[in-house]
Amino acid sequence: MILEQLAFAGLAVIAVVTAILALFVRELVHTILWIALFFVDISAIYFLLEAPFLGVLQLGVYAGAVTVLLLFGIMVTRKRIFSREAATGVGAVPVALALVTFIFLIATVGEFPQSAGTVHSYSPYDLSQNLFNVNGPWLLLLGLIMLGAVGGAIYLVREGRE
Amino acid sequence: MTDLPIVGFLGLSAALLAVGIFGILTRRNFILLLIAIEISMNAAILNFVYFAAFRGATSGLTGQSIAVVLIGFAATEVAVGLGIVLALNRLKGTINVAQATELKL
Repeated sequence: MILEQLAFAGLAVIAVVTAILALFVRELVHTILWIALFFVDISAIYFLLEAPFLGVLQLGVYAGAVTVLLLFGIMVTRKRIFSREAATGVGAVPVALALVTFIFLIATVGEFPQSAGTVHSYSPYDLSQNLFNVNGPWLLLLGLIMLGAVGGAIYLVREGRE
Repeated sequence: MTDLPIVGFLGLSAALLAVGIFGILTRRNFILLLIAIEISMNAAILNFVYFAAFRGATSGLTGQSIAVVLIGFAATEVAVGLGIVLALNRLKGTINVAQATELKL
Protein backbone atom coordinates (compact mmCIF):
# COMPACT_ATOMS: atom_id res chain seq x y z
CA MET A 1 0.00 0.00 0.00
CA ILE A 2 2.65 2.48 1.09
CA LEU A 3 4.70 1.59 -1.99
CA GLU A 4 1.84 2.63 -4.29
CA GLN A 5 1.38 5.89 -2.40
CA LEU A 6 5.10 6.60 -2.71
CA ALA A 7 4.95 5.77 -6.42
CA PHE A 8 2.04 8.18 -6.84
CA ALA A 9 3.85 10.94 -4.91
CA GLY A 10 6.93 10.52 -7.13
CA LEU A 11 4.86 10.49 -10.33
CA ALA A 12 2.90 13.58 -9.21
CA VAL A 13 6.09 15.55 -8.51
CA ILE A 14 7.57 14.50 -11.88
CA ALA A 15 4.32 15.51 -13.66
CA VAL A 16 4.28 19.03 -12.19
CA VAL A 17 8.04 19.57 -12.65
CA THR A 18 8.05 18.37 -16.30
CA ALA A 19 4.96 20.50 -17.08
CA ILE A 20 6.66 23.61 -15.67
CA LEU A 21 9.97 22.83 -17.41
CA ALA A 22 8.17 22.25 -20.73
CA LEU A 23 6.78 25.78 -20.57
CA PHE A 24 9.93 27.48 -19.28
CA VAL A 25 12.89 26.06 -21.23
CA ARG A 26 13.99 28.40 -24.03
CA GLU A 27 14.68 25.78 -26.73
CA LEU A 28 11.49 24.41 -28.29
CA VAL A 29 13.02 20.98 -28.98
CA HIS A 30 13.78 20.63 -25.26
CA THR A 31 10.17 21.61 -24.57
CA ILE A 32 9.04 18.67 -26.69
CA LEU A 33 11.33 16.30 -24.77
CA TRP A 34 9.93 17.48 -21.42
CA ILE A 35 6.33 17.26 -22.63
CA ALA A 36 6.98 13.71 -23.90
CA LEU A 37 8.22 12.80 -20.41
CA PHE A 38 5.10 14.47 -18.96
CA PHE A 39 2.83 12.35 -21.18
CA VAL A 40 4.68 9.13 -20.26
CA ASP A 41 4.37 10.09 -16.58
CA ILE A 42 0.60 10.66 -16.89
CA SER A 43 0.37 7.27 -18.62
CA ALA A 44 2.15 5.69 -15.61
CA ILE A 45 -0.48 7.31 -13.32
CA TYR A 46 -3.22 5.65 -15.43
CA PHE A 47 -1.51 2.29 -14.96
CA LEU A 48 -1.33 3.01 -11.22
CA LEU A 49 -5.09 3.70 -11.27
CA GLU A 50 -5.59 0.28 -12.89
CA ALA A 51 -6.75 1.75 -16.21
CA PRO A 52 -4.30 -0.06 -18.53
CA PHE A 53 -6.28 0.66 -21.72
CA LEU A 54 -6.15 4.40 -21.07
CA GLY A 55 -2.45 4.10 -20.19
CA VAL A 56 -1.68 2.47 -23.53
CA LEU A 57 -3.89 5.01 -25.33
CA GLN A 58 -2.05 7.86 -23.60
CA LEU A 59 1.31 6.37 -24.62
CA GLY A 60 0.23 5.82 -28.23
CA VAL A 61 -1.74 9.02 -28.84
CA TYR A 62 0.00 11.57 -26.63
CA ALA A 63 3.56 10.34 -26.06
CA GLY A 64 3.66 9.01 -29.64
CA ALA A 65 1.47 10.88 -32.11
CA VAL A 66 1.04 14.30 -30.47
CA THR A 67 4.76 14.57 -29.62
CA VAL A 68 5.78 13.70 -33.18
CA LEU A 69 3.21 16.16 -34.60
CA LEU A 70 4.54 18.97 -32.39
CA LEU A 71 8.13 18.12 -33.32
CA PHE A 72 7.10 18.13 -36.99
CA GLY A 73 5.47 21.54 -36.49
CA ILE A 74 8.74 22.93 -35.10
CA MET A 75 10.76 21.29 -37.88
CA VAL A 76 8.79 22.86 -40.74
CA THR A 77 8.46 26.35 -39.23
CA ARG A 78 12.12 27.03 -38.33
CA LYS A 79 15.33 27.30 -40.27
CA ARG A 80 17.39 26.03 -37.33
CA ILE A 81 15.36 23.80 -35.06
CA PHE A 82 17.65 24.32 -32.06
CA SER A 83 17.29 28.12 -32.07
CA ARG A 84 16.23 29.70 -28.80
CA GLU A 85 12.95 31.42 -28.07
CA ALA A 86 13.05 35.06 -27.02
CA ALA A 87 12.48 35.33 -23.27
CA THR A 88 8.91 36.29 -22.46
CA GLY A 89 8.24 38.20 -19.27
CA VAL A 90 6.29 36.57 -16.47
CA GLY A 91 3.56 39.09 -15.74
CA ALA A 92 1.99 39.50 -12.32
CA VAL A 93 -1.56 38.96 -13.62
CA PRO A 94 -0.98 35.46 -15.12
CA VAL A 95 0.84 34.31 -11.96
CA ALA A 96 -1.96 35.70 -9.79
CA LEU A 97 -4.67 34.06 -11.94
CA ALA A 98 -2.88 30.68 -11.89
CA LEU A 99 -2.42 30.92 -8.10
CA VAL A 100 -6.07 31.91 -7.54
CA THR A 101 -7.20 28.94 -9.67
CA PHE A 102 -4.94 26.59 -7.72
CA ILE A 103 -6.01 27.90 -4.29
CA PHE A 104 -9.70 27.83 -5.26
CA LEU A 105 -9.43 24.23 -6.50
CA ILE A 106 -7.46 23.12 -3.42
CA ALA A 107 -10.13 24.72 -1.20
CA THR A 108 -12.76 22.72 -3.13
CA VAL A 109 -10.70 19.54 -2.77
CA GLY A 110 -11.05 19.91 1.03
CA GLU A 111 -14.72 18.97 0.62
CA PHE A 112 -13.80 15.45 -0.49
CA PRO A 113 -13.15 12.61 1.97
CA GLN A 114 -9.58 12.79 3.20
CA SER A 115 -9.13 9.03 3.52
CA ALA A 116 -7.56 6.85 0.87
CA GLY A 117 -10.00 5.44 -1.67
CA THR A 118 -9.92 1.93 -3.06
CA VAL A 119 -9.05 1.81 -6.72
CA HIS A 120 -11.36 -0.42 -8.76
CA SER A 121 -10.08 -2.11 -11.87
CA TYR A 122 -12.06 -2.72 -15.05
CA SER A 123 -11.16 -5.06 -17.86
CA PRO A 124 -10.74 -3.59 -21.37
CA TYR A 125 -13.71 -5.83 -22.33
CA ASP A 126 -15.99 -4.01 -19.85
CA LEU A 127 -14.71 -0.67 -21.12
CA SER A 128 -15.35 -1.60 -24.75
CA GLN A 129 -18.88 -2.77 -23.84
CA ASN A 130 -19.56 0.60 -22.22
CA LEU A 131 -17.85 2.57 -24.97
CA PHE A 132 -19.47 0.89 -27.98
CA ASN A 133 -22.85 -0.23 -26.62
CA VAL A 134 -23.88 2.30 -23.98
CA ASN A 135 -22.05 5.35 -25.40
CA GLY A 136 -21.97 4.22 -29.04
CA PRO A 137 -23.74 7.29 -30.51
CA TRP A 138 -21.32 9.65 -28.73
CA LEU A 139 -18.39 7.71 -30.13
CA LEU A 140 -19.87 8.06 -33.64
CA LEU A 141 -20.29 11.79 -33.04
CA LEU A 142 -16.62 11.97 -31.96
CA GLY A 143 -15.64 10.22 -35.20
CA LEU A 144 -17.62 12.74 -37.26
CA ILE A 145 -16.12 15.70 -35.37
CA MET A 146 -12.60 14.29 -35.86
CA LEU A 147 -13.29 13.78 -39.57
CA GLY A 148 -14.47 17.38 -39.88
CA ALA A 149 -11.47 18.65 -37.92
CA VAL A 150 -8.96 16.72 -40.02
CA GLY A 151 -10.72 17.95 -43.19
CA GLY A 152 -10.43 21.51 -41.84
CA ALA A 153 -6.74 21.04 -41.04
CA ILE A 154 -6.07 19.77 -44.59
CA TYR A 155 -8.02 22.76 -45.99
CA LEU A 156 -5.85 25.13 -43.92
CA VAL A 157 -2.54 23.78 -45.19
CA ARG A 158 -3.44 22.83 -48.76
CA GLU A 159 -1.23 23.92 -51.61
CA GLY A 160 -1.86 27.24 -53.35
CA ARG A 161 -3.97 28.81 -50.59
CA GLU A 162 -3.09 32.40 -49.80
CA MET B 1 -7.18 -3.33 -5.49
CA THR B 2 -4.98 -0.56 -4.19
CA ASP B 3 -5.59 2.28 -1.75
CA LEU B 4 -4.58 5.76 -2.89
CA PRO B 5 -5.34 9.25 -1.51
CA ILE B 6 -8.14 10.95 -3.47
CA VAL B 7 -7.08 14.40 -2.27
CA GLY B 8 -3.56 13.89 -3.64
CA PHE B 9 -4.93 13.13 -7.10
CA LEU B 10 -7.23 16.16 -7.11
CA GLY B 11 -4.35 18.34 -5.88
CA LEU B 12 -2.20 17.11 -8.79
CA SER B 13 -4.97 17.99 -11.25
CA ALA B 14 -5.35 21.44 -9.70
CA ALA B 15 -1.59 22.06 -9.94
CA LEU B 16 -1.47 20.93 -13.58
CA LEU B 17 -4.46 23.12 -14.48
CA ALA B 18 -2.79 26.13 -12.80
CA VAL B 19 0.44 25.48 -14.77
CA GLY B 20 -1.60 25.15 -17.98
CA ILE B 21 -3.51 28.40 -17.37
CA PHE B 22 -0.25 30.19 -16.59
CA GLY B 23 1.24 28.89 -19.86
CA ILE B 24 -1.82 29.91 -21.90
CA LEU B 25 -1.65 33.45 -20.48
CA THR B 26 2.10 34.02 -20.83
CA ARG B 27 3.43 32.13 -23.87
CA ARG B 28 3.33 33.84 -27.25
CA ASN B 29 4.66 30.97 -29.39
CA PHE B 30 1.74 29.03 -30.90
CA ILE B 31 3.36 25.63 -30.25
CA LEU B 32 3.98 26.48 -26.58
CA LEU B 33 0.37 27.65 -26.38
CA LEU B 34 -0.79 24.27 -27.76
CA ILE B 35 1.41 22.48 -25.18
CA ALA B 36 -0.10 24.58 -22.35
CA ILE B 37 -3.61 23.66 -23.57
CA GLU B 38 -2.57 19.97 -23.66
CA ILE B 39 -1.36 20.18 -20.04
CA SER B 40 -4.75 21.61 -19.00
CA MET B 41 -6.58 18.93 -21.00
CA ASN B 42 -4.51 16.22 -19.28
CA ALA B 43 -5.46 17.66 -15.88
CA ALA B 44 -9.14 17.37 -16.84
CA ILE B 45 -8.78 13.84 -18.24
CA LEU B 46 -6.93 12.74 -15.08
CA ASN B 47 -9.94 13.84 -13.01
CA PHE B 48 -12.29 11.64 -15.04
CA VAL B 49 -9.96 8.67 -14.55
CA TYR B 50 -9.66 9.21 -10.76
CA PHE B 51 -13.38 9.40 -10.23
CA ALA B 52 -13.88 6.38 -12.49
CA ALA B 53 -11.33 4.43 -10.44
CA PHE B 54 -12.70 5.43 -7.04
CA ARG B 55 -16.38 5.20 -7.88
CA GLY B 56 -16.46 1.46 -8.39
CA ALA B 57 -19.12 -0.86 -9.85
CA THR B 58 -20.04 -0.25 -13.49
CA SER B 59 -20.78 3.48 -13.10
CA GLY B 60 -17.05 4.18 -13.12
CA LEU B 61 -16.80 2.84 -16.66
CA THR B 62 -18.57 5.93 -18.02
CA GLY B 63 -15.73 8.07 -16.62
CA GLN B 64 -13.16 5.96 -18.45
CA SER B 65 -15.24 6.11 -21.65
CA ILE B 66 -15.32 9.90 -21.43
CA ALA B 67 -11.53 9.87 -20.90
CA VAL B 68 -11.09 7.83 -24.12
CA VAL B 69 -13.27 10.32 -26.03
CA LEU B 70 -11.37 13.30 -24.55
CA ILE B 71 -7.99 11.83 -25.55
CA GLY B 72 -9.37 11.59 -29.10
CA PHE B 73 -10.56 15.21 -28.95
CA ALA B 74 -7.18 16.40 -27.66
CA ALA B 75 -5.33 14.66 -30.50
CA THR B 76 -7.72 16.24 -33.03
CA GLU B 77 -7.19 19.64 -31.45
CA VAL B 78 -3.41 19.32 -31.88
CA ALA B 79 -3.88 18.34 -35.55
CA VAL B 80 -6.04 21.42 -36.20
CA GLY B 81 -3.70 23.59 -34.11
CA LEU B 82 -0.72 22.53 -36.20
CA GLY B 83 -2.73 23.24 -39.36
CA ILE B 84 -3.20 26.79 -38.05
CA VAL B 85 0.55 26.96 -37.16
CA LEU B 86 1.50 26.05 -40.74
CA ALA B 87 -1.02 28.50 -42.24
CA LEU B 88 0.18 31.27 -39.90
CA ASN B 89 3.81 30.55 -40.73
CA ARG B 90 3.05 30.71 -44.45
CA LEU B 91 1.14 34.00 -44.18
CA LYS B 92 3.27 35.83 -41.59
CA GLY B 93 6.62 34.02 -41.55
CA THR B 94 6.30 33.64 -37.77
CA ILE B 95 4.28 31.58 -35.29
CA ASN B 96 4.07 34.35 -32.71
CA VAL B 97 0.38 34.73 -31.84
CA ALA B 98 0.88 38.41 -30.92
CA GLN B 99 1.40 39.14 -34.63
CA ALA B 100 -1.75 37.36 -35.81
CA THR B 101 -4.04 40.39 -35.58
CA GLU B 102 -6.20 40.09 -38.75
CA LEU B 103 -9.43 39.55 -36.83
CA LYS B 104 -8.86 42.44 -34.43
CA LEU B 105 -11.12 45.46 -34.82
